[in-house]
Amino acid sequence: MVRFENVGMRYGPGPEVLRDVTFVLEAGSFTFLTGPSGAGKSTLLKLMFLAEPPSRGLVNLFGNDLATTKRSAFAALRRRIGVVFQDFRLLDHLSAFDNVALPLRLAGGKPDDYTQDVEELLGWVGLGDRMHAKPPTLSGGEQQRVAIARAVVARPDLLLADEPTGNVDAEIGQRLIRLFGELNRLGTTVLIATHDRSLIENARAREIRLVDGRLVEMRAGRT
Amino acid sequence: MSAPIRKRGRILPREAGAAPLDVVIGVMAFLAALALGASLVADRAAEGWRAGLSGRLTVQVLPPEHGAPNPALAQETAAALDVLRSTDGVVHADEISQEETLKLVEPWLGSGAVIADLPLPRLIDATLVPGARIDLAALTQRLKQAAPDSVLDDHSHWIARLKGVADAVIWSAYGILALIAIATASAIAFATRAGLEAHHDIVSLLHQMGARAGFIARAFEWHYFISALFAASVGGALAAAFFVAAGGLESVGIEPVPFLPPLSLQPAELGWLIVVPLGSAFIAWATARLSVLAALRRIY
Repeated sequence: MVRFENVGMRYGPGPEVLRDVTFVLEAGSFTFLTGPSGAGKSTLLKLMFLAEPPSRGLVNLFGNDLATTKRSAFAALRRRIGVVFQDFRLLDHLSAFDNVALPLRLAGGKPDDYTQDVEELLGWVGLGDRMHAKPPTLSGGEQQRVAIARAVVARPDLLLADEPTGNVDAEIGQRLIRLFGELNRLGTTVLIATHDRSLIENARAREIRLVDGRLVEMRAGRT
Repeated sequence: MSAPIRKRGRILPREAGAAPLDVVIGVMAFLAALALGASLVADRAAEGWRAGLSGRLTVQVLPPEHGAPNPALAQETAAALDVLRSTDGVVHADEISQEETLKLVEPWLGSGAVIADLPLPRLIDATLVPGARIDLAALTQRLKQAAPDSVLDDHSHWIARLKGVADAVIWSAYGILALIAIATASAIAFATRAGLEAHHDIVSLLHQMGARAGFIARAFEWHYFISALFAASVGGALAAAFFVAAGGLESVGIEPVPFLPPLSLQPAELGWLIVVPLGSAFIAWATARLSVLAALRRIY
């Protein structure tokens, strides 16, 4: 599903943020990415959701070597990835409903086809009565749930989440993790970057850790 | 459960600061419609001049430039008339009366006793069979034999000059239209770049989520298409009103200038002005699309 080999990454002439990162995410796996702030977790995620090209090394996504894949094919690869951004990145002028429906719309879906699914998902994350609200009127936790719903609504092949439970209480956090688990059982490969140790311990999943830009295998989990 | 949502929100928010661009497009469209209208007026005038002068011949029997009047001028005129009337292809030939001749020069020389004393040529107007091919060299020779002071004019030189003037006006108008199109495209390209900058977060997110370049470009191109269509329609309508008002100048006592065509447009010609808002909207659509696609190619 995802394979990194000796990947290095630096921004401009600065020092390397990632050094010789090598790992594999098997299809259908559930993995936590941990590490202190500034260790390079967000940069690693950016490489995985094709926001940046690596400075060196090999990145293989869905069987495609990105160095030799045509840029015109990237859009289709990106549509197979759901991303929960740490800063949510919701569109403020669209309602919660339209934000969640965006991936389906980008895939060419019609409102009649996806309206029920989107409403059900919003209800599941506890926003059934807030679907017409615009993001600026939602709390941080509500915005985070909208961002998560948007990331999972199209049942992506790969789900990448950057601190997805950082702004919600423990109960909602567990519920969101169950949502990720459910998606994982349906076949989605999940990678969650988090600081939340309780989340990691409860899930008993594989953990990989970034320290000073280098990746360390911490724990093998269930696959 | 709330009512199902069927209408999709706009990918781009409505821009609050687009009014200056609309004004620029509106003014450009107004000027473009004026240029287009001018080309139509010139084209109609040229056609009118051509239709009025082709198929006609004029013979002048010239008075002497100096000295006493030629007493044989009337006989020469009559002889020239006989030659014309006996020529194959001439339907009709008649002398233009002294009063009519004076009217012809009145716009330039005025009227009065002094003008009446001027040595004006005697004029003969001849009408030809439509499509008739007359040997002008032979006719000139016959006229010279019958009336030595006669000069034959088939108006071809005059028609060519009028056509040249009309063509110059028409091509100048096309040139102005091209310049306006370039200026409009430049303004739209600039606005699109500013729009991309202003909506960078949205464009970047859509790109990140796997939106096709065409999907993102559509959000921009339709925005500018609608905006330009509306603004250019207003500009075009104002220009149309100008041409309609120009047609009513005589009714308020402003006389037309001799030999210059009226500035008004006929109803069918006014219909051509719709090309301006449609063209502006197309330019806006194409420019916005190309600008966005070029910008997206620069993103990883």
